[in-house]
Amino acid sequence: MLFEPVEKSMIVLNGVSRIFRRADGQLVRAVADITLEIPQGQFVCLVGPSGCGKSTLLQMIAGLILPSNGSIRVADSLVTEPSPERGVVFQKDSVFPWMRVIDNVEYGLKCRGIAKGERRTIARDYLRLVGLSHVEHAWPRELSGGMLKRVAVATVFANGASVLLLDEPFGALDYVTKRQLHDVLLKLWAQSDSENRRTVLFVTHDVDEALTLADRILVLHSGQLVDDLDISVPRPRTADSLLLAEMMNRKHVLLAHLGLEGATALAAQMEVGS
Amino acid sequence: MSAVLRHRTSLLVLVGMAGFWQILSMIFRAEALPGEPMVPGWQVLVTKTFLSLSDYWQGGLGVESVASGGRPSYLASFLAVISNSLDTVIRLYTGLFLGAVIGTLLGLAVSWSGWTRRIVELPAQFLRTMPLLAMVPLFQLWFGTYFIGKVAFVAYGVSVIFFAGVVNAVKNVPQIYIDNARTLGATKFQLYRTVILPSIFPELRSTILLSLGTAWAAELGAEYLGAQSGLGYIIVYSEQFAYLDRMFFVALLFTLYASISYAIFNNLSLRLLRWAPRAGRDVLVELKGIGNALS
Repeated sequence: MLFEPVEKSMIVLNGVSRIFRRADGQLVRAVADITLEIPQGQFVCLVGPSGCGKSTLLQMIAGLILPSNGSIRVADSLVTEPSPERGVVFQKDSVFPWMRVIDNVEYGLKCRGIAKGERRTIARDYLRLVGLSHVEHAWPRELSGGMLKRVAVATVFANGASVLLLDEPFGALDYVTKRQLHDVLLKLWAQSDSENRRTVLFVTHDVDEALTLADRILVLHSGQLVDDLDISVPRPRTADSLLLAEMMNRKHVLLAHLGLEGATALAAQMEVGS
Repeated sequence: MSAVLRHRTSLLVLVGMAGFWQILSMIFRAEALPGEPMVPGWQVLVTKTFLSLSDYWQGGLGVESVASGGRPSYLASFLAVISNSLDTVIRLYTGLFLGAVIGTLLGLAVSWSGWTRRIVELPAQFLRTMPLLAMVPLFQLWFGTYFIGKVAFVAYGVSVIFFAGVVNAVKNVPQIYIDNARTLGATKFQLYRTVILPSIFPELRSTILLSLGTAWAAELGAEYLGAQSGLGYIIVYSEQFAYLDRMFFVALLFTLYASISYAIFNNLSLRLLRWAPRAGRDVLVELKGIGNALS
């Protein structure tokens, strides 16, 4: 079930491990021998308990840290450093406070030498799509946490990345703001036709969030991939969608993996998963 | 407290200080030499003292110097104050600017790459440990007692402070901004220009204020030990003749110029820090109030 090459693979991980040396000198394996393929255009959620290696895996795909073993390929080229091809929305606020909102959204385009008029048009488009046209000249300190996330999402989309890596981006937001941002994210993702659709890897510990967003949910536990679930419920998914039998079933599986439904259930599901 | 009230309070304190000085001058009437009071009152400072500064006018602009037979005049005194102040201030700011640029570049080099760090760090740490004022004679012999010697000395003192400040501030740049810039496609040079420099600026403000003080100390220290013009030269010359009033007058000029520098710096950094949260900027507004009251 781990290998399902439906179409062109966008992200390919081959035996990827990452070992850290802790301050006390002990070696810790944050990610252990992960092999994985993600086809172009898929919306994948990576779920797992705190400290399971989700963020490490995402940062390796981003090129911010390098694997200790194995290789990561994105769009057929080996990942050795960060690239604007792989946009990242971070858990913490990453919007530059010393630039106005519009300059933040333009930042990546400016770095790559896109002419001023052109990049302003692109930035304005994405600010409109995330609903922030009215604050394009504001300073980030004047915005709420949810608005800052909208700016971060607009920035990576405006930069034209073909792969989007989101590291618990909405974890610190309230429920309503989080739901609004899900809609914004899905709208931006779905606006391109399927050949040009961006590949998304979304790290979260929120089971409902994963079920609402994903085509496919990967479960990580102690640095290992322990399950790979397809979610075929059509979009848009509402609160009611989460009550469908398929969703409830998936939810129980995920909760078991997270250790919330007892050791027996977890053991049973781990067997099913592998 | 409202801005007006704050302003008035500062002004009142200033007037109080001037009055206190006047009372002191009336109580302590001792003289260093006949006619040279230890604590010169304002009536002395604005007349006899100011007029005596004609001695330092080197002639020109149709006003003859005292040394070549001219009579002391308020015009000659005014020209003496202006020309000597300009000498000092120009040397000081040239040195400050050069020192700031060199110190910042060296400080940034420490984080740029392993190679630049290895090249820069040891020599810079070595220079840091040298006591600044003890280096004055050495700089005089190397660079002379004129413009270059003083500028080089101020630049040296300032660059050492900037180096330490920049190295420290770069260490405190949040990793998230660096990661964000790199994943958005910034080159290393772009990263330094658009992320590192703006994000170290708030922390560098204290370094800049510190270096303003050091620049004054370095410039005057250099002038004490050998100069043909400038405010420090006037002080040393006055000391030899126990002209305490002239020394005090020049000290007042320092206060005035330093206040103007601080006010300008605060205005500039307020503009540059428009983006920063308000908590950090209120301190600046406070400083600016003091600067305005003094200048």
